[in-house]
Amino acid sequence: MSKVIKAIDLKKIYHLGKVKVEALRGVSFEVEEGEFVSIMGPSGSGKSTLMHIIGCLDYPSGGKYFLTNQDVTKLDDNQLALFRNRKIGFVFQQFNLLPRATNLRNVEIPLIYAGMATRDRLKISLKALQDVGLNHRAHHRPNEISGGERQRVAIARALVNNPSIILADEPTGNLDSKTGQEIMKIFQSLNQRGNTIILVTHEPEIARYARRIIHLRDGLINKDEVVV
Amino acid sequence: MIGQGLQIALESLWANKMRSFLSMLGIVIGVGAVIAIVSVGTGSTQQVTSRIADLGSNMITINPSMPRGQWGQIRDVSHSRQKFTLELAEYLELFCPSVRSVIPVKQITGRLISDEVNINATVIGTRVDYAEVNNYEIAQGVFISAEDDRERRPVIVLGYQLAVDLFNNDYPIGKVIKFNYNGRIFSFTVTGVMKEKGGSMAGNLDERAYIPVSVAMDRLTTHKYVDSFIAQAYSSERAISAVKEIEYFLIKYLEDENREQFRIISQDEILDTVSSVTNTMSMMLGGIAAISLLVGGIGIMNIMLVSVTERTREIGIRKALGAKNKNILIQFLMESLSLSSLGGLVGIGFGWVAAYFLSQYGNWPFLISSISIILAFGFALFIGIFFGLYPAMKAAKMNPVDALRYE
Repeated sequence: MSKVIKAIDLKKIYHLGKVKVEALRGVSFEVEEGEFVSIMGPSGSGKSTLMHIIGCLDYPSGGKYFLTNQDVTKLDDNQLALFRNRKIGFVFQQFNLLPRATNLRNVEIPLIYAGMATRDRLKISLKALQDVGLNHRAHHRPNEISGGERQRVAIARALVNNPSIILADEPTGNLDSKTGQEIMKIFQSLNQRGNTIILVTHEPEIARYARRIIHLRDGLINKDEVVV
Repeated sequence: MIGQGLQIALESLWANKMRSFLSMLGIVIGVGAVIAIVSVGTGSTQQVTSRIADLGSNMITINPSMPRGQWGQIRDVSHSRQKFTLELAEYLELFCPSVRSVIPVKQITGRLISDEVNINATVIGTRVDYAEVNNYEIAQGVFISAEDDRERRPVIVLGYQLAVDLFNNDYPIGKVIKFNYNGRIFSFTVTGVMKEKGGSMAGNLDERAYIPVSVAMDRLTTHKYVDSFIAQAYSSERAISAVKEIEYFLIKYLEDENREQFRIISQDEILDTVSSVTNTMSMMLGGIAAISLLVGGIGIMNIMLVSVTERTREIGIRKALGAKNKNILIQFLMESLSLSSLGGLVGIGFGWVAAYFLSQYGNWPFLISSISIILAFGFALFIGIFFGLYPAMKAAKMNPVDALRYE
């Protein structure tokens, strides 16, 4: 199996005034295609920073990061945007749907920036909504549906451009536990279909839905375990 | 990319209808004002110009200077005034090659008396050409003839209003009326009534009467001089040279190197004055309108800045989903451009309607110049780009991580 992610000695240093904060102090790991990995750690452990770097939203201060065998640290802003568009599907804690756009429109956005023609775009977006069981909500707006449904719309949006990895940042953080479990089941079934999923969370019981957990503490990998 | 940017921009503007409308308002008013003001300016200028042209073509008025006093004393009659004789009129005709004719004008104010009514009126002693030079047409009967003048016949032609006042609805031609001047009474036979002309630069012509200049000078008064001359150039092209010839001749004739004793007013000069006044007015009002456009533009920038801040999170989401800086820049630029161009279009309609009603109210021709439309609309577009660029760049440069964290 090919490596989707290869991180070598990733460092991130923030300068807050005169104080230097080392969020990541040398993190190395690899993720193979088709894996379901949780990155877990308490707040302040650097997991958000790591997620931003994996998601091509931010550059590391040191180290190398290869996404599908390409060195991301050497890319400029535009190429990074292209990478986010083609290779990554984001699912956020706050759903991050555009409130004034319909669900369908929200799902379409990555395809719009990919430059896809309207007709193909609609077909693929409707299919993605169908995959999460929400095609009947396509023309509703996010504020007209429940939190769990919103997160499913967000998952459809993350899937729509057929990315190399799906990156989920505390996807159950704003949901009750039952809905959270439903969402995690969706991730599991996506993984069974072959999607590579990276889940960032601080909740152990959510992290256990994955097959591998990377424990992060004070900017370093504490433990890398396989879930049995 | 511009197409999708425009689509996203329009969706967002539609989602915030009230805010979009309010930020458009400045541009609407600015563009509307520019169009209305330019239309009013050209319409009223044309109205005034055509009125001046109505006064008579190629007309040059020559007046002696008003008597000027010194140290509280007033000289009774100025030196030059006495030289404004009928001979001078003949000399001017003779020595100025561009001048076709010189018509003497003698004004006498007295009281006109018909059977029932008497009215204070100005009677003008003049010659047959007077009506033609002034574009003044006869309604009934005939104007003073050359023969009337030679024979010193006591005939009178009445202005429209004067005829109505004196004879009401009776047919006035052939009637005899009396004219009381300086306590003496003269009888005149009415030979004609002029068409209604209304007010003009020279006062209300309808309230005047016309008699042969010979009668005015030899019978009514014993004056040897008249009040002014009206000279007519052969053509409007020769009007300027006619003015120069008259000036040159009068300087020699009156021995008046400093041109203190006479004044020459040509129609060109009046037109120049009028157009310079209206131009200044248009410039000033246009400037005010342009400022309101500018303020409208600043309003758009203001709204766009607020909108960018308010939608920081949206920008973060879009960037996370693959929007390049260019995409965001174009999205926000398209928003401000749509606002200003839509505002411009509404403003054109608004200015058009306003100009139409103003032209109806002011009774001048309704004119909309395509240049003013293109200029105002182009300026609105420019403002949309210029004032939209800064907020759009601010949006485009946002760091996606910070933008996503924004609450």
